[in-house]
Amino acid sequence: MDYLQRLSKPYKWIMYLLVGVPIIIMILLSFTSTLGVDFSGAEFSLDNLGRLNEPVYTQAIKNSLTLSSIATIICFLIGYPIAFMITKIRDKYKWLILVMVISPMWSNMLLRIIAWEQLFKPNSLLNTIGISLDLLGTRSAIIIGMVSIYLPFMIFPIFTVLDKMDKSLIEASVDLGATKTQVFTKIIFPLSISGVASGVMMTFLPSATAFALPERLGGGRILLIGNVIENLFKRVYNYNLGSLLSIVIILIIFGAMRIINRQEGGLII
Amino acid sequence: MMTKLMNILKWPLVLVTFFLLYFPIIIIAILSVNESQSAHIFTGFTFKWYEEIITNSSLRTAIFNTFLIAIISTAISTVIGTAVAIGINANSKKESTKVLMLSNIPIVNPDIVTGLSLMIVFSFVRLKFGFPSMLIAHIFFSVPFVILSVLPKLRSLDKDIFYGAVDLGCTPMQAVFKVILPAIKTGIITGALIAFTMSIDDFVISYFTTGSGFSNFSIWLYSRLGRRTFSPAAYAYNTLIIIGTFTTIMIMNLKSYRKERKRN
Repeated sequence: MDYLQRLSKPYKWIMYLLVGVPIIIMILLSFTSTLGVDFSGAEFSLDNLGRLNEPVYTQAIKNSLTLSSIATIICFLIGYPIAFMITKIRDKYKWLILVMVISPMWSNMLLRIIAWEQLFKPNSLLNTIGISLDLLGTRSAIIIGMVSIYLPFMIFPIFTVLDKMDKSLIEASVDLGATKTQVFTKIIFPLSISGVASGVMMTFLPSATAFALPERLGGGRILLIGNVIENLFKRVYNYNLGSLLSIVIILIIFGAMRIINRQEGGLII
Repeated sequence: MMTKLMNILKWPLVLVTFFLLYFPIIIIAILSVNESQSAHIFTGFTFKWYEEIITNSSLRTAIFNTFLIAIISTAISTVIGTAVAIGINANSKKESTKVLMLSNIPIVNPDIVTGLSLMIVFSFVRLKFGFPSMLIAHIFFSVPFVILSVLPKLRSLDKDIFYGAVDLGCTPMQAVFKVILPAIKTGIITGALIAFTMSIDDFVISYFTTGSGFSNFSIWLYSRLGRRTFSPAAYAYNTLIIIGTFTTIMIMNLKSYRKERKRN
């Protein structure tokens, strides 16, 4: 077996390097002032930590958290019943409906954002049927865009868990006198929590850190943390403040994961 | 009460979902045959944007780069991912959870974090930004998906099958190629398909790891948004991709349907 075991060793070390090294560099960059990643002549400074309090950044972090939370909740409210309905479809058509749900993802994400952008303008194709949405630059525009793009990521994991569920548990509970509502709240929903958890992760994290979506649909008025970071790294070349904000994002990820994991445990018990 | 609520909400929910998922795609398709370059008015039917996919040299190069990166990165990451999955499967539980956790990081991490991390490492080791950096980035985020689709196939395989082959005179190399690989073929193909789609679609990670003017379709699109140089040929290209995937799915569906009918 030794021969096969060796196959994953190099990958492990490369991953340690590619995951660990950038975090170390980012932490170093956060507390120094440098030119790019050139550490020669780097000086220790806490300036960035002070700038983190500037309203631009606090507002961006707040926007990210609120908008993506709302989008995630809407995705859940739509996605759960839809996933549930798909499990009820006969096997022959189930596959087709699943493909229907996933196939929009083969269309370029940026282009779908642009399509929404065009529709949200006061002058759009919708004028021909007498509608002018004029939503560009509003929070609703960003939320609709997020739900549209990340909804399949909510439906899919929930469907997978619901579809694999042991049907005899449901039959048993019905036999023992549970009403339909009870079957759902006491059996089906608790058993599907792991799917909900990964669905929430897969919609919340990418929507909270998106930058092209808020840039186009927010009309430059609403900034999310992704926009700020993109601006710092790709336009102003302030790697130091950019790194600090990325560390903030990484902390948000860890926080979200911990909350979701705890919820998961709590709800099952 | 709950079932009643469900019955009332059923069709509105289906409608909302369909609208949210397909409205943008329908709009893109309409704009791809729109005579006018501006997106707010439909002036007439045309196929000229489809022609422009070929005549517009910057778009053509971007599409070429997209497929070049996708094909090479898929090939490399399928090989690496399969090898690593075999390694993970052969290791002790403790070791394999460790490697799996590491390999899950690029899947869980939002694209912007992955893109930034790679960009920082690449500029730290002074790698040339452009084709090589983007290729490495695509391999980096594709390998975990290959591992995730190959591993379940390996887990369901009898562990002794490898020993058996070696006992019967295979070298370890032959045992892997002649016994293990054929048994996990479907997992490898699924992994490769996922890797390919992820690579074709990627914007954020490519955006942070590219340089010296090398761009794929998404980056080309992003750099032209809201500018005069934006061309509706982008809508045309996307519509072709959608039609292509739908036809492939329909053909596959029809084939499996026929097979089933024959069996019955």
